[in-house]
Amino acid sequence: MSAAAPAAGGINARYGVSARRRRTDVAMRGVLLAGTAIALVPLLLIIYYLLHKGLSSMTSGGFFTSDPTGASAGFFGGAQKIGGIKSALLGTVEIVLIASAIAVPIGIGVALWLVEYGRNSVYANIIRFFVDVLTGVPSIVFGLFIYIVLIVGTGSTYAGWKGSVTLSLLMLPIVIRSAEVVLSLVPGALRESALALGAPRWRVIFKVVLPTAASGMVTGVLLAVARAAGETAPLLFTAGVTNVTTLNPTHYQNSLPLQIYNDFIAGTTQNFNRAWGAALTLVLLILIVNLSARFISSRSRLG
Amino acid sequence: MTADRTTPSSVDVSPDDTADGTERTRAAQPVPSAGPAPAPAPVSSSAGHALRLEQLRAFYGDAEQVKGIDLDFNAGEVTAIIGPSGCGKSTMVRCINRMHEEIPGAHAEGRVLLDGENLYGPTVDLVAVRRAIGMVFQKPNPFPTMSIFDNVAAGLKLSGARGGGLREKVEGALRGASLWEEVKDRLSEPGIGLSGGQQQRLCIARSLAVEPEVLLMDEPCSALDPIATLKIEELIEELKQRVTIVIVTHNMQQAARVADRTAFMLTGDLVEVGQTSDIFTNPRDSRTEEYVTGKFG
Amino acid sequence: MNSVPTSSTRVHFQEELAELEKRTLEGLDMVVEQLDRTMESLEHQNIEVAELVIADDDRIDGRFLEIHQGILSLLARQAPVAGDLRLVASLLHVIKHVERMGDQCVNICKLVPLSGHEPPVRAELLDKLLHMGALARTEVVQSKTAFASRDVALAEDLAHKDREINRANRDIFNIALEIGDDADTREWAMHMILVARCLERIGDNAVDIGEQVAFVVTGLFQEFGDTQP
Repeated sequence: MSAAAPAAGGINARYGVSARRRRTDVAMRGVLLAGTAIALVPLLLIIYYLLHKGLSSMTSGGFFTSDPTGASAGFFGGAQKIGGIKSALLGTVEIVLIASAIAVPIGIGVALWLVEYGRNSVYANIIRFFVDVLTGVPSIVFGLFIYIVLIVGTGSTYAGWKGSVTLSLLMLPIVIRSAEVVLSLVPGALRESALALGAPRWRVIFKVVLPTAASGMVTGVLLAVARAAGETAPLLFTAGVTNVTTLNPTHYQNSLPLQIYNDFIAGTTQNFNRAWGAALTLVLLILIVNLSARFISSRSRLG
Repeated sequence: MTADRTTPSSVDVSPDDTADGTERTRAAQPVPSAGPAPAPAPVSSSAGHALRLEQLRAFYGDAEQVKGIDLDFNAGEVTAIIGPSGCGKSTMVRCINRMHEEIPGAHAEGRVLLDGENLYGPTVDLVAVRRAIGMVFQKPNPFPTMSIFDNVAAGLKLSGARGGGLREKVEGALRGASLWEEVKDRLSEPGIGLSGGQQQRLCIARSLAVEPEVLLMDEPCSALDPIATLKIEELIEELKQRVTIVIVTHNMQQAARVADRTAFMLTGDLVEVGQTSDIFTNPRDSRTEEYVTGKFG
Repeated sequence: MNSVPTSSTRVHFQEELAELEKRTLEGLDMVVEQLDRTMESLEHQNIEVAELVIADDDRIDGRFLEIHQGILSLLARQAPVAGDLRLVASLLHVIKHVERMGDQCVNICKLVPLSGHEPPVRAELLDKLLHMGALARTEVVQSKTAFASRDVALAEDLAHKDREINRANRDIFNIALEIGDDADTREWAMHMILVARCLERIGDNAVDIGEQVAFVVTGLFQEFGDTQP
């Protein structure tokens, strides 16, 4: 918006921007810039601290290759080894993978039903209502629920897969909501042409609708994964706390958020450092998942 | 004009004068009578397929949009359906390949006979109906995640047609849609990368690949520029030999150009149907007259 | 099926078409004017009037070109169909007939001076000719009325009226056969036969215009039968 100086007469007298408007324009721009800066500050601070505190810990020997020993560093430091985060890392990866394997198919299935079959019927709207409610449920409540049902109720103990189930409950509403939005954005004309070619409805869904919505749904799934990977409370009640690496989901499994929590409780500097390292690892993990999923979806989507 | 001479022979002898100047005689002008013609029975032959609508009615819930239509579509011909917006022509055409009932709450009654078989019979397979009756829509809509080749083959794959010769069928369909020469070197490129007119011909090729007996076209050119429109009209002229074509159009000049027969619909009723040249030179119904001359619509 | 627009769509087109029709039918007024002068020239052997008619034919020719061009332009720009198309096609025919009728008047006027200033007039023959002229005039006027009001019955009546002209034409021929006295009289009688023929042609053109009326209204083109006794 360039402003010509208002002249005494001529075209600028009618079309030039007045000085008062220019001042307002500059002021508003300043306000918006300030708001953006304020919003960015915490983000930048977090990144800075993560890198500053966590990088040195991450690069120390054995960080990724050794389990936490359960010991905390003594007050005189150094003597006892506290170990790395191997079990936490592997635990998070496995727990979240299993949770995704549960939540994503079910979530997409529900979204498909809502968009293709339920549409605006009473049942569909009831389901949508409950999905919305679920998004607001605090994650600790999910943890307690699974604790009551799968641990106390069955008389058995903590297990990694129970943590996965809890996380999948968390992921489900996010996946359903975002998948529903993306699926309903697929133009009806595409479905129509596929139907008009003589395709049964399920083929239309799998060969036309889903591929078209695929990249959008990937983003929704990522959001859900990112949320699940960072949850602490539900795993506390369901997956149990342990230091040992185990790939068997029926045992107790460690996870990064829990590891961070434990290190915080331990209170020593070395534990704190390890916590920062674990936090940075978690963030990097999610970043890698994000980037690789985008890479995959951009390759598969044409044009 | 008079000859400019001053002799008795300057009297103008017009070509149609005869030697006998007492009576007016002239060779009779052979003008075809434009009077009422009987509705021809639908002609079915080994070279083509005829369609007949009997008392077709279409509903959206309780609202009756198409009110009892009897209409024939002859083999090897293009039949155009014209009428003002909302007259039910698209609805009626969607009943032919049973797409109307895909809309929630919509249903149709009556009979649609393809070569004598009722497509609304109790044991009829919808997939088979839609393979026999193809449809091209107003806005070109190739599948965005597929290449040109896959788009044309999609018709075959989606309808579960088995058998080999996929490449041959795709090429045949693209040739049939006058698109082969333009895309033969870039079959693996995305379908949505083509121009509007090419995309529409791609959609036509997609429909042709399953070798339908009838092709329904719902305002196929309304989203295209004039040159692309003319190309598709030429294509329709070629295609009608193998596929009976029904075209819904807002554009009366288009109906006049491409169609052999034209049907005029008004608020769900069939007002008049006949040879296109009759409809546009001497329509029988005054409502048809008013519509085609642009006095309403 | 007249040209009054029933809605506000295509008003300019309807107005343009109505104007073309009006200008075409005015051609018939011009023909009547020419015919009146022609008959006057014939009655009084007035050579100046005859020359006036010949010169004035340019106006009718000019009108023909104007209508012709107007119709081409309308066809190209407006793509008329159905009733409008039939009207446009018929106007082409009508203006052609107008032009032919004008030419027939010119032909008559070219014959007038050939008999010199003191022709050996036979009252019997001349009266019949004047009667034919009146009949032709009536037919032309009636053809215009029939077209303007799209009156098919009136148009068909033209065929009946034309019989009378045809009869008069034959009568004149027979009278001329009997004239026989001297060479000058015979020569004059021959010219009068030609005049009669021109008048008869004018009547035919008027009937043709009547056929166009039927075409515009019904879409059918038929020749009005000559139920000649």
